[in-house]
Amino acid sequence: MTITLALPSKGRLKEQALEVLEKAGLKVILPKDQRNYRAQVEGDSRIDILFLSASEIARELGYGSVDLGVTGEDLIRESLSAADERVQIEARLGFGHADVVVAVPEVWYDVSTMADLDDVAAEYRQRHGRRLRIATKYWRLTQQFFSQMHGIQVYRIVESLGATEGAPASGSADIIVDITSTGSTLQANHLKVLEDGIILKSEACLVSSRRSADPTAVAALAQRIQAAIARG
Amino acid sequence: MTGSRAPVFASDLAALISARDAELVDIPVIQPADQFLDMAGEDLRRRIFLTENENGQSLCLRPEFTIPVCRNHIELNAATPKRYAYLGEVFRQRREGGNEFFQAGIEDLGDANRARADARSLADAIASIRLVAPKAELETLLGDQAIFEAVLAALGLPRGWQKKLARAFGNPGQLKGLLADLSSSQKNGSLPDRLTALVADGDETGLAAALEQDMQVAGISPGAGRSPHEIARRLIEKANLASVKLPAQAFAALETFLAIRVPLQTASTHLRTFSRANEFDLGPALDQFEARVVAVREAGIEQENIVYDAAFGRPLDYYTGLVYETRALASPDLGAIVGGGRYDRLLTMLGAVDSIPGVGFSIWLDRLEKIAGDAR
Repeated sequence: MTITLALPSKGRLKEQALEVLEKAGLKVILPKDQRNYRAQVEGDSRIDILFLSASEIARELGYGSVDLGVTGEDLIRESLSAADERVQIEARLGFGHADVVVAVPEVWYDVSTMADLDDVAAEYRQRHGRRLRIATKYWRLTQQFFSQMHGIQVYRIVESLGATEGAPASGSADIIVDITSTGSTLQANHLKVLEDGIILKSEACLVSSRRSADPTAVAALAQRIQAAIARG
Repeated sequence: MTGSRAPVFASDLAALISARDAELVDIPVIQPADQFLDMAGEDLRRRIFLTENENGQSLCLRPEFTIPVCRNHIELNAATPKRYAYLGEVFRQRREGGNEFFQAGIEDLGDANRARADARSLADAIASIRLVAPKAELETLLGDQAIFEAVLAALGLPRGWQKKLARAFGNPGQLKGLLADLSSSQKNGSLPDRLTALVADGDETGLAAALEQDMQVAGISPGAGRSPHEIARRLIEKANLASVKLPAQAFAALETFLAIRVPLQTASTHLRTFSRANEFDLGPALDQFEARVVAVREAGIEQENIVYDAAFGRPLDYYTGLVYETRALASPDLGAIVGGGRYDRLLTMLGAVDSIPGVGFSIWLDRLEKIAGDAR
């Protein structure tokens, strides 16, 4: 029986994921054809490697169609409802750091906390004839943070597929929820993060599906990678 | 119970509610989604069944009736007063129970005699339950948003605090957190030096001009969202609030108020005693409350177990006065069999030109069926 380990298909995330595996003694033999998205581990036929986009990995882990995967915690929590019932985070990998944050225009000097934002949102409709609009591609995280954690009900999510940070200036939204690693993109767009506006401190994680057909093999592989990370 | 079978009593119930001077309306199952997300909040998004039409417009399966019934009324430009009844399936993603279930109810629009309309709504709701479960032990919890707001005003709290607390009505956890926050002070975040003096002087015009310049630098249109004046006003307001503290006495009075939980028929006396002891004038809110108690007595439901709970509210920002829920004492885990309330703001929010008062309730038929089985 084989288990499937899904890895990000491109960029820095892919390289860093391969490095972690190599530390655990798992050398991935990359396919000669770059377009091929399957690979094998040297000397171990029980592990299938599958290259997917990071958000696909999150979704497939939820379905249980891959057993293990490397992807961002933000994508896990955004793509899956009741994520902890469907997948388990086996290890934090120490790369791919990004915070999911609530950011408002810098000129909103009167708004520095979620409580301030609650006040603004509550009166928004009366003043402007519409709800406060939040541009984001993280609607699930936004909704949990605003509605369930901070009791803010009255706002609208505007789904944004790219360049979220430009939404306040373009007028398509008032504030944003987005990922940031250095904050420089936010700064360049004259946006600031609220003091208590960090929704999630995300990084790349090794994640297992709770629906795997072979939990023993999954646990063994996860342990091997955990041990390698612990060794540093 | 999953499945979408109408309970056996559905046609009797439809007959009962439509016989109460209400027109039975048909509401399409597929509805524009925006109206629900706008009114009830984004929290609803994960609980409704969303789809899109070819043009990308968000549609959903009807998650409730009140909003489409009111919309329908506005679109027809119908005369008021007008009462609508409905019975049909609603669709929500639930962890417990099925995703398709039936609701029935009455929406009473435009009756200027609010006390009478409130009492009638309560009587209709309870009669609907009694049709199916005549012997069930019921408890109806009644709250009043307007009384709560009147108490906040009488406490002499700054307006900003009043509004904040009023929004948390019916949510004990949030209310507690807010009261703790208000007992300490809130400050403005760090301000650039050039603005500090303007805030301290309360110079709204000067401040707004400075903010408008900042907006232009940031490429934000001052007319598109929050305006410079709006931000300036709130900065000054916050600076003033930072020096105010919630006095211990006001805090204690509020706690005493929120603990009031008495049979409705003695509630007026309790509220009068409370306001006298604190030298409050609860004004028209209390008069309205008393008129409603009288109307409830006249509606012939005085034998029912109706309890006034000062802290009871339903967390939707269009409720304005009466809110109520009826539960079965034998099945506390079932939740409310009926929920209702007054929503004098809703029709304006939905686009009605004139202000139209409204009160209504909704019955969960799957829950009603359950208690009917238990109590018969």
